[in-house]
Amino acid sequence: MHSSLANVRLAGLAVSTGSVVRDYLAEGLAHGLDRAVLERTAQTVGLRERRVAAPGVTALDLCEDAARRLFAAAGLDASSVDAVIFVTQTPDHPQPNNASFLQARLGLAKGVAAFDLSLGCSGWVYGLHQAALLCAHGGAGRVLLCAGDTLSRLTHPQDRSTDPLFGDAGSAALIERTGGAAPWHFELGADGSGAGAIIVPQGGARAPAGSRPLTVVPDFDGNGRHAENLAMQGGEVFNFTLREVPAAVASVLRHAGYAAATTDGLVLHQANRFVVSAVGRKCGFPPEKTPDGIAERFGNQSSASIPCALTEAYGERLAVGPLRLALCGFGVGWSWGAVAGEFGPLVVAPVQPFPRQA
Amino acid sequence: MSSPSRLAALQADVDLFAGATTSTRLEALPGWGSLAVLLVILHCETKHGLTVTSAQVRACATVGDLLSLIPETP
Repeated sequence: MHSSLANVRLAGLAVSTGSVVRDYLAEGLAHGLDRAVLERTAQTVGLRERRVAAPGVTALDLCEDAARRLFAAAGLDASSVDAVIFVTQTPDHPQPNNASFLQARLGLAKGVAAFDLSLGCSGWVYGLHQAALLCAHGGAGRVLLCAGDTLSRLTHPQDRSTDPLFGDAGSAALIERTGGAAPWHFELGADGSGAGAIIVPQGGARAPAGSRPLTVVPDFDGNGRHAENLAMQGGEVFNFTLREVPAAVASVLRHAGYAAATTDGLVLHQANRFVVSAVGRKCGFPPEKTPDGIAERFGNQSSASIPCALTEAYGERLAVGPLRLALCGFGVGWSWGAVAGEFGPLVVAPVQPFPRQA
Repeated sequence: MSSPSRLAALQADVDLFAGATTSTRLEALPGWGSLAVLLVILHCETKHGLTVTSAQVRACATVGDLLSLIPETP
């Protein structure tokens, strides 16, 4: 679906990461894996360390921290928000949604619209579209978009195809109605034929938690996981990404009248350096315009990875903005969301761990 | 691209194929696994403009089988 929304702006960004640092090489050696193979994989994929949530900390906690820091940095009162959108696939509970908890925790007005979007790595762009839609046509003046996950809780330590990849993070963004802003051009899509390629098979209504024994079963590569762990078919996901993302990015660039040479950057979901650099090249962007190092420091942060990349790679320039950017998230579903437009000037709070270290 | 050229190109891109021949069994290569599958997919895409699926790669038993996924060109 294509959608163009004008008279909206991104007013602020903040990201809070998990506080526990996991080292790829040390963990692999502890699993008895060969150092040379680990080092080669680390170099090829871009795996160094990741930050996961401390015990008891959830995506809701991480996003609340990010939102509080963002309100403080922007000098705004939380009561000025008209809607809160929470993008996550690791909510605190099956019911109620995280957005309702966040309304109470942050002291948002009772009149806010508060809802969750169940999306993963494409979710920040989907959420941005919903927030922009509420501002452009829905009567909202300011929307708080929170996006984050604790995917490290879903992987099995014996599954080396997923466990070393994921970090935990929560993000907060403010989207506002404004006069005279050029449109943002979105492309949103889904291909449910790939729904089984990234899946937690058990724990929902179709296969309730505990309905089958949690027996660890090895796959093709000897990676072990049980039915309530995240399972990912990496090759199929890579095929999907190379197929759909360049087309979505090309579409939003075309609608915006941008080319790679006239765009300040392409910010892709930070799956890992290998995927980001391959997709960036296929999109026609040079490496210097395609930041790819976020997962190497923080892990794959699901829906929080694009705001983290924006903050880390473009924070200083966005603070004085504007920049012409294309963004694209892609993953579980399969789903994807791309946007092109001008971003900044905006308030950018630094990426920080939660809880903060003493 | 001839068969030896295709093997040389694969070896240049993906170092785990260094020293391999067309008869080398993939499971005998140190490091053969999910990451290697991604590297082969990317090699086919970038060097040959060819989309191969993970299932196609995993169905191969030898390096020669892998090379047969890439059409020979003059």
